[in-house]
Amino acid sequence: MINHHPSDASLLAYANGGMSVALALVVATHLAQCAPCQRTLATLEAVGGVLLDALPAAGPAAGVRVPNFSGFGVADAFVEPALPAGAVDPDGLAPGALQQVLARLDDPLPPFPSVLYPTLPAPLNRVPMGRWWPIARGVRWKPLHVGGVAWGGLVLAQPGRALPRHGHSGLELTCVLSGAFSDGGLSYAVGDLAEPDGDHDDPPAVMGAEPCLCILASEGMHLRGVLGLAQRMIGL
Amino acid sequence: MIQSSLRGVRECVNAIHPGSETCSRLPGRLHVHARLRDARKFGRGAVRGRVFALYQHASFATMTPQSPLSDGPDHAALIKAIADQRDRAAFIELFNHFAPRIKAWMLRAGASSAAAEEMAQEAMLSVWRRAASFDPSRAGATTWIFTIARNLRIDAIRRERHPSLLLGDPVDEIEQPEQADRALDVAEREARIRSALGHLPVEQATVVHMAFFEDKTHADIEKELGIPLGTIKSRLRLALNRLRSILGDLP
Repeated sequence: MINHHPSDASLLAYANGGMSVALALVVATHLAQCAPCQRTLATLEAVGGVLLDALPAAGPAAGVRVPNFSGFGVADAFVEPALPAGAVDPDGLAPGALQQVLARLDDPLPPFPSVLYPTLPAPLNRVPMGRWWPIARGVRWKPLHVGGVAWGGLVLAQPGRALPRHGHSGLELTCVLSGAFSDGGLSYAVGDLAEPDGDHDDPPAVMGAEPCLCILASEGMHLRGVLGLAQRMIGL
Repeated sequence: MIQSSLRGVRECVNAIHPGSETCSRLPGRLHVHARLRDARKFGRGAVRGRVFALYQHASFATMTPQSPLSDGPDHAALIKAIADQRDRAAFIELFNHFAPRIKAWMLRAGASSAAAEEMAQEAMLSVWRRAASFDPSRAGATTWIFTIARNLRIDAIRRERHPSLLLGDPVDEIEQPEQADRALDVAEREARIRSALGHLPVEQATVVHMAFFEDKTHADIEKELGIPLGTIKSRLRLALNRLRSILGDLP
């Protein structure tokens, strides 16, 4: 039974692709197990489809010019700037775009990433990761090798152990893969997604007798105490 | 300034739907007049956001099921033609419709012109390659293409060397929820969403549009519209709950 879900804002950021890949992988891990969130996502995606269809297309072929709000005053926003004859509309598709794509249609498909970690649920099983690093007593960390502004990785904590004390300067998402942990008086079990609102008073700690394996991604985390000093010294 | 921006909206709407009586039927037109009065208080960004919502709003309000803007069965048929016969003419038609829109979306979301162009081309290439995995009982054609472009956007950095992990392997899709418990079929769902979007109160529509297509964080929207963060969150929640309840899947 899943009790903790991503916020609407996070699901929306996932739905429109505005979320970094590390965070999106955490949400995708939760989604694969959570039917209500899949339904909400399907609704948001349908909204996206409708909005995309209604979006004035970029480019001269579109008939209506995109009202460009960036840097224009309101009064100018809807005024079609007269393009000199032969000029390429900067917002339109590049000349020959269609021909370029048509020429690539028969290219061989790039191979799909193979399963690297058969014990992990999809889509994590295909994500390249580094080795396990001890980060605290009884806590190990395995970083995801993905791009984007957020970073993420697996956390494996032994019973009775807690994460190092830390605060947040952005979104942090954690999805439980096995075991359970408690944070701020709430307990999180397999499939639950934790999205802390602010800083932790006490760091999340493992519940029960089983080790807890989570996928965690964060836009910004500052460690406190001695580890925090070390973090600042190496400039992370 | 305000008068000229409203005139701009009318011109835009008339350009999309020539001869339509849109402007006199704009939902919440007077409302927006009142809203625009806040402009002096909140600055130009507030007006921009609201005028844009009104503009988008107007285009939904005038959509009918027969409207060429609606996701008719034709796009689904084109995708099927690609899947079954590798039909290049069908692909060109889809490309001409969607590639410029995907690029417009990416530009609006803050991508550079070159990145937006590449994303639009890659998305259309994926449409060609993955056409066989399009399942009209799961999502409409437009929604399917939207999710392809979305996944590429999330995975933009990895795209160079690997296909998107989030797209899923065609032969190893992430397990999907039971389809049978869906009371409404996909076309009906999307028609309802289309109509619901047109009837959202303009202040909710503004927040949805900004959150969806301009890649604004709540804090950015707060700055731009000059309304408190809590209000933005509650408007977004209201809008989503409204959509959910219209679709009959309230949690």
